[in-house]
Amino acid sequence: MIYIKELSKNYGKKQVLKDINVSFEKGKVYGIVGQNGAGKTTLFRCIADLESFKGSITSNFDILKNHLGLLWTNPYLMDKITGKEYIQLLANARQVKLDNIEDKNIFDLPLDQYASSYSTGMKKKLALTAILIQKNDCFILDEPFNGVDIQGNIMIIELINKLKELGKTILISSHIFSTLATTCDEIHLLKEGTFVKSVLKDDFDQLETAMKTFSIGDKIDKMEIV
Amino acid sequence: MKAYFVLQFKILNRKLIAFGLPLLIGYPLLLVVFIGVSVYIFSRTPYAVYIYTALALISVLKLSAQDRNDFLNTIFNKKQYRIIREIENFGLVFPFVCFLTYKQEFLMLLPISVGAIIISFIKFNTGFYLTIPTPFGKRPFEFTRGFRKGYLVFPLAYFLTFMAITVDNFNLGVFAIGLITVVTLTFYSRPEDEYYVWSFRLSAKAFLMQKIKTGIRYLTGLNLPILIALSIFFYDQMIVIILFNLLCYVYLITIIVAKYADYPKEMNLPHMVLIIMSVLFPPILAGIIPWFYAKAIKKLNIYIQ
Repeated sequence: MIYIKELSKNYGKKQVLKDINVSFEKGKVYGIVGQNGAGKTTLFRCIADLESFKGSITSNFDILKNHLGLLWTNPYLMDKITGKEYIQLLANARQVKLDNIEDKNIFDLPLDQYASSYSTGMKKKLALTAILIQKNDCFILDEPFNGVDIQGNIMIIELINKLKELGKTILISSHIFSTLATTCDEIHLLKEGTFVKSVLKDDFDQLETAMKTFSIGDKIDKMEIV
Repeated sequence: MKAYFVLQFKILNRKLIAFGLPLLIGYPLLLVVFIGVSVYIFSRTPYAVYIYTALALISVLKLSAQDRNDFLNTIFNKKQYRIIREIENFGLVFPFVCFLTYKQEFLMLLPISVGAIIISFIKFNTGFYLTIPTPFGKRPFEFTRGFRKGYLVFPLAYFLTFMAITVDNFNLGVFAIGLITVVTLTFYSRPEDEYYVWSFRLSAKAFLMQKIKTGIRYLTGLNLPILIALSIFFYDQMIVIILFNLLCYVYLITIIVAKYADYPKEMNLPHMVLIIMSVLFPPILAGIIPWFYAKAIKKLNIYIQ
């Protein structure tokens, strides 16, 4: 479980997160949606303890970040490091013994090539493989489907389902509503730093309609496209 | 096009400020360093003019990276792109041209100028990725990356050791150990992305200790052939070999703790000055290592517990 109470975050005078109260349970998948700049990544950085904040974030673990697998939208990969060495580095970081790495290469990545030469989707697959190998209990997946090929996306959806079965806590942000609808148990809509709506699986269609109305409105008509 | 150069100027200003140099000091200092290095090169070798020309041309090679050239091509038309590339390249070799003129080495002005223009037409594909094998894959990343970037130095150092033994020059052998050590110190010159520190399930102290242990183990591995060879052929100098090698470890520890003392920023100027001073007067290491260490622990505690 992850409990967030009265979480607020400011960058200078700009308030990015306002009074967020939410809890994330074991064995559930949570979607976080919102426009660019709504505060999703900042929320994830706070949970990962990469930002200072007001309020509290607690969990069942002594130190949450030591049990957290973090997949960024654009994973940063160093140059002159192969895919295998990247995985080794992240396994070492969590004292996980790495053996039979080829069996764990579920995305069939060219692990002996420099990771920095990978395409966007391959980088994401590599970073995801590494955090899975770390045997984490909680996962934050920031745009996991973005830039990944269709086969990769199918695999990621199956992986998320498997993690859920194993009782892991998973937070996903995505701009592709259909992938969230497939994987999530609950979706939270973040707007200007605060959760304005939280819906359970049965009401996802309603949320999608509401989001469409909110996002599009009559903006396209105003463009007067001919 | 003017906006592009104004932006480049702003970027340079920001880099100097981020480095801890106010602009009024930074630019004169750059000039002084450039002149100082130029004078030094010309005072040390009769081949200085060739080295200098090579340095000038090597310095413009970086501007030919495919990514930046593709970017420039997408935002400027062909004529503007050509003008920008030629101004950039010639601007970069201009200080070298000035110094060669001052030294009355007019013969090399033509190769530098023509070379700079030719290089402006070339795009280097940095996407050439032949994976160089490394013995340091078990504990990435500093030595893994560093070895691949500077692997040519190691055979050179071993060759120097061979020469040291052949011509019975012990100092050359010690220089080879120093060369490898200095190269490995550069592996720690840039801070990694915070994600790589954050990922560690270790305390700040344990993290630093692990970095130091790995560094010492791998440095020993690289220096071992030289240490063994020198110990056999210069047996009477064993104490010097051991002491010098220990000093190399101390500098390695210094650079590791200094790297994290200002993390996630790059090492700042005062820290660099302290390290340079420690080379001139090693006893101050006894003071600066604990100081860097304490600062590093404080910085790392933000990311790991």
